[in-house]
Amino acid sequence: MIAAVQNTQVLLLAGVLLAACLAKLVLPAPAGPGLRGRRAGVAVAVGEGTLGVALLVTSHLSVRLATSVAFAAATWIVGELRTRRPDDGCGCFGALSTHRVDRRSVLRGALFTAAALAALTAPHAGVAALRNGTLLMGCVLALELAVFGMLSPELSSFLDRRRLRRRPDPPCERRHSPLDETYRRLRSSAAWTTHEAALAGAEPLDVWREGCWRFVVYALDDEREVVFAVSTAARDATVRAAVIATDD
Amino acid sequence: MVAGVVVDASPHLLVVATEGGGEARVAMSEGTRVWDGGRGSFAALAPGRAVVVRHGMERPGADRVWVDITRVIGTITAVGRASVDVDQGPHREAVTVEIPPKAMTAVLVRHPRLEPGHLVDVICAVTPDGPRAVAPGTSQPGHRADASPQAPVDARVADVSHGSATWFDGPGFGAAYPALDGEGDAGGCADAPPGCVPLPLLSLGSVVTVGNECAKRTAEVTVVACGCVAARYCDRCVQCGTSPRGRLVELTPVAFAALGGELERGCFNAALRHDPGVRA
Repeated sequence: MIAAVQNTQVLLLAGVLLAACLAKLVLPAPAGPGLRGRRAGVAVAVGEGTLGVALLVTSHLSVRLATSVAFAAATWIVGELRTRRPDDGCGCFGALSTHRVDRRSVLRGALFTAAALAALTAPHAGVAALRNGTLLMGCVLALELAVFGMLSPELSSFLDRRRLRRRPDPPCERRHSPLDETYRRLRSSAAWTTHEAALAGAEPLDVWREGCWRFVVYALDDEREVVFAVSTAARDATVRAAVIATDD
Repeated sequence: MVAGVVVDASPHLLVVATEGGGEARVAMSEGTRVWDGGRGSFAALAPGRAVVVRHGMERPGADRVWVDITRVIGTITAVGRASVDVDQGPHREAVTVEIPPKAMTAVLVRHPRLEPGHLVDVICAVTPDGPRAVAPGTSQPGHRADASPQAPVDARVADVSHGSATWFDGPGFGAAYPALDGEGDAGGCADAPPGCVPLPLLSLGSVVTVGNECAKRTAEVTVVACGCVAARYCDRCVQCGTSPRGRLVELTPVAFAALGGELERGCFNAALRHDPGVRA
């Protein structure tokens, strides 16, 4: 049973190291001082990837020792970041790790270090452990992944990114509405048709934005002005118009 | 509120040539406090110096007078032995701020990363050689200038937004707003970051209601400038409790002081509301 738990740690650590490597390469953290630099990020990612693959293919003690030292060092660094630069995020999983460094991050590092120490004498390499997988190993791994998920703010960042890819509509007050869209909506509106013939010129006198509305002002032939209010919402082409005296 | 240049001063009267071209006479008293790079005296009110004067709420005459005060905010582009070069954004000049040893300690305490790429915010005294830092304006945000947190794309705009209000060097009674529309004549920048507070997109001339939650004062303020640099600051103000993150507005010195803000403190906890359809 102890051997099964140890083998599970090897799989867990290999998976985490490979995930961290992938995240740093695909979603690099914003460049910053020290270890947050781009080159340093790539170097760390390559190191993590190498260790992850090595854990999968060999059970040599040197690989396990290197993994333990790496996680212990990472825990110490995250602890320092929590004290000195908590708002920077730890960058552990690239751009996914931009959350404030808190106790959870330090605890997560400490648990991984403990797992690496427990895996020092694991009988199998990762691939061999997978071949000889048991129900117990599956249960332990599921439990550890659940704890890992609870201690990882990166999970919500990852889900947010997937959600953002679906591009939810921003509220009309904040939505970027290009001028072309405004003119298209305006010129296909009944309000435009009503006033078009009386416009003194084709160019608007003024165009400005107030939250959910963009206002477009044209001079009329009779010295008055017409103000069109065009909705900036994604699915609302409402256009309103008001004629005002120039003095207003 | 009066802002302008000192024409004449005595212990009882201050004569100021105002920004509008007029002249204002302000009564002075023993209770009038003068700021001149720190606590100052009436001797600082020499002809030719720029002043911002706040009238007292409880007694006639001046309550506060700030002499030759200015402020620099933006992204550090270079760091010298006793100075920093600051990019103040597309609407303001890049400047070199001298930081004398006396101020350096205080600035470093609140700006631990005085490095290129990070944000800076310092209260300065105007000198013939340029701005000279006196004290930090606010604490440096933890993020780099190019990595400021942003509100989620679909975040709703609150009826009343809460955060901090700061001030910038600008004339009259107005505000620089961090979420100006970049299209048409609205006055915004196309590449301005959206900021960490969900604010409605407005235009130059829009009117917002700004409240100082510390002094319990509220005023309608017209947007007169683009405050896209403020949008990069996802920081808090701690003048009275801790404000939510994000700068809602930058006020001109006159507006900031009129709302009860102390210019040398840099910010106040603020509430901001925009009533659609109100434009100056």
